[in-house]
Amino acid sequence: MPPETTTVTNGSAGTPGTSESDLRTLSAGLDALQTDVVTQKSLGRRIVSAAAPTVVLLIGLIAVWQLVTVVVKPRPDLYPGPFDVLGAFGSAWDSGRIQEAVATSVERGGFGFLLALAIGAPLGLILAEVPLARRALRPLLSGLQVLPSVAWVPPAIIWFGISDATAYFVVIMGAAPSIANGLVSGIDQVPPQLRRVGRVLGASRLESAMLIALPAALPGFLGGLKQGWAFSWRSLMAAEIISTGLGLGLGGMLDQSRQLADMAGVLATILVILAIGVTVELLIFGPIERGLLRRRGLYGVSPR
Amino acid sequence: MSTVSSVAPSAAVSGAAVSGASGQTAGPLAESEVAPAIRLSGVGKRYEATAAPVLENVTLDIQPGEFVCLLGASGCGKSTLLNLIAGLDKPTTGSIRLEGDAGMMFQESALLPWLSASRNVELALRLRGVPRRERRERALELLDTVNLADAAKKRPHELSGGMRQRVALARALAQDRSVLLMDEPFAALDAITRDLLHEELEQVWRATGRTIVFVTHNVREAARLGQRVLLMSSRPGRIAREWQIEDTGPRRIESPEVSALAIEITEHLRREIRRNAA
Repeated sequence: MPPETTTVTNGSAGTPGTSESDLRTLSAGLDALQTDVVTQKSLGRRIVSAAAPTVVLLIGLIAVWQLVTVVVKPRPDLYPGPFDVLGAFGSAWDSGRIQEAVATSVERGGFGFLLALAIGAPLGLILAEVPLARRALRPLLSGLQVLPSVAWVPPAIIWFGISDATAYFVVIMGAAPSIANGLVSGIDQVPPQLRRVGRVLGASRLESAMLIALPAALPGFLGGLKQGWAFSWRSLMAAEIISTGLGLGLGGMLDQSRQLADMAGVLATILVILAIGVTVELLIFGPIERGLLRRRGLYGVSPR
Repeated sequence: MSTVSSVAPSAAVSGAAVSGASGQTAGPLAESEVAPAIRLSGVGKRYEATAAPVLENVTLDIQPGEFVCLLGASGCGKSTLLNLIAGLDKPTTGSIRLEGDAGMMFQESALLPWLSASRNVELALRLRGVPRRERRERALELLDTVNLADAAKKRPHELSGGMRQRVALARALAQDRSVLLMDEPFAALDAITRDLLHEELEQVWRATGRTIVFVTHNVREAARLGQRVLLMSSRPGRIAREWQIEDTGPRRIESPEVSALAIEITEHLRREIRRNAA
C-alpha cells in the first residue's frame, strides 16, 4: 500500500512568534535558572580541610605510642618509642646517610618508573588498538600484575649481577604491566559516542586518536600510572633489600639496620620509605588527577 | 483547526507510487526541478543476514532547505535511517545520495568534557580545516547564534542540558554543511527548555536555510517543527504516511493547529503500532 500524503495548513494567525530579542532574554533567563554559581574555597582552606583529619590522626597515633612507651615500658631494643626513632633519624641525617639513601632510591625509582612508562605506554596502545595482540597478551599481562615483583629479584641478580640494572629490571617488571593495563582500560572506557562525534566531524584516524581518544582516556591512564608508581617503589625496595651490595638506597639501609639489630633505625627507615611514597602520591599524582577530573566535572562538584 | 487540503499517494515517498498528486502540495518546496539535497532509493538495512530487516525499501527525496521530521515508535529504524544518511553505517540494499556531507547532532550533546564550549566548537572548525586565526572568532559567532556567547569559556559540566545541546547545535553549524541531521536532540530535556530550543532551532533554520532531518518520537514536536512529517512503520521500517505542512511562519506548540495535527498523526501512529500486536 503506497503511503499517503496529507497537506495541512498550520496557520500562525493569532499565535505570534517570539521575537529574536525576546528569545534571547528567555534563553538567558532559563540558563541562569539552570546553572548554579559555584563558589570555591581558597586554596589554603581547601588544603587545611583536606589534610586536617589525617594530621590529627597521626598526632593521636604518635601520642598513644609515646604513652604506651612511657606506661608499659617495653624493651627499648625491641619496641623503641617515638623519640628513639626520631633520634635514629637524626643521627642518620647528621651522618648524611639518609640523604644519600633517599637520593639514590628516588633516582632509581623515578628513572625506573620512566623506563616502565616508555615500555608500558606503547605496549598499552598496541593492546588497545590491535585486537589480536590484546587477546594474546592481556591474560599474560594480568598474570604479571599478580606476580609479586620480588620474584624477579633472583633471576635479575643471576642475569645482571648486583648492579643498578637489577633494580631497574625489577622495577620495570613490576610497573610496566600496570601502566599498560591502565592505558588499555582508559581507552576502552572512551564513550563510543565521542568516537562517533569524531567521525561525524570528519576526523581522520590519527586526528580521532590524538584529539579525542587519547584525551578521553587520560583519567584511566593516570590511574594506571599511579598504580605503576606504587609498584615501582615497592619493587625497588624489595630489590634493594635483597641485593645487598647495591649502592646504598633506602632498602639497603633498612637491611643494614636489621643486621645491627637497630630497631629504631629500621622503624625510621620504614617511615621514610612510607613518607616518600605518600609524598609522590600527594604532590605529583594527586594534583594532576584532581585537575584532570575537575576540568571534566568529575571531582569536587556537587551533583546536579 | 488545521485544514486538510489533500490526501493523495505521494510520488516522492514510495518507489511504487507514481503520480503527480504531490503537485498539489503547497509551500516553498512545491515540485521543484532543483536536485534534492538527499535522495534515498530503495534503501534497506539488515544487521544480520538471518534477522528481520530494520529498514525496507525506503525511497525518499528531501529538497534543499526543507525541514523534515522523521517520526515513529521505538524500534522503527528512524535512528538507523539517520545513521545511514550520515554515512556512519552502510545500507544493505538501495542507495543514498547526498550533496556533500552532513552535520549531525545526537540525543546526548556528546561534547568533549575536557574542552570549553568554544573549544568544542573550534574543534569542528579545526577538523574542517579553518585556519587557527579565524577559529576563535568564528566559534564565538556560532555560540552567539545559539545565544551562548557568555558561556564560551564554560566546560560542558558547568552547563545545563539545554545549554549543552545548544553548544552541540553550534558545533554542528560549525561543520558548515548544508544538511543537518538531528537524532532526537531534545528528547532528554524538560518541556520548557525544549520549547525554547524549538524556537531557537526554527530561527537558525530560517536564518541559514539548512536542510534539516529531525528524528523524534514526540508527535507534537514533529507537528510543531516540521514542514513535512514522515511517519515510519515498524518492523520493517518503512515510510507509512507523510504530511506536508504549509509554512505560514512560526508556530507555537500550544496552538490548536499543531494540536489538531498532532491528534491526527497520533491516530495513524497508533494504527501502525496496533499492527504489531497481532
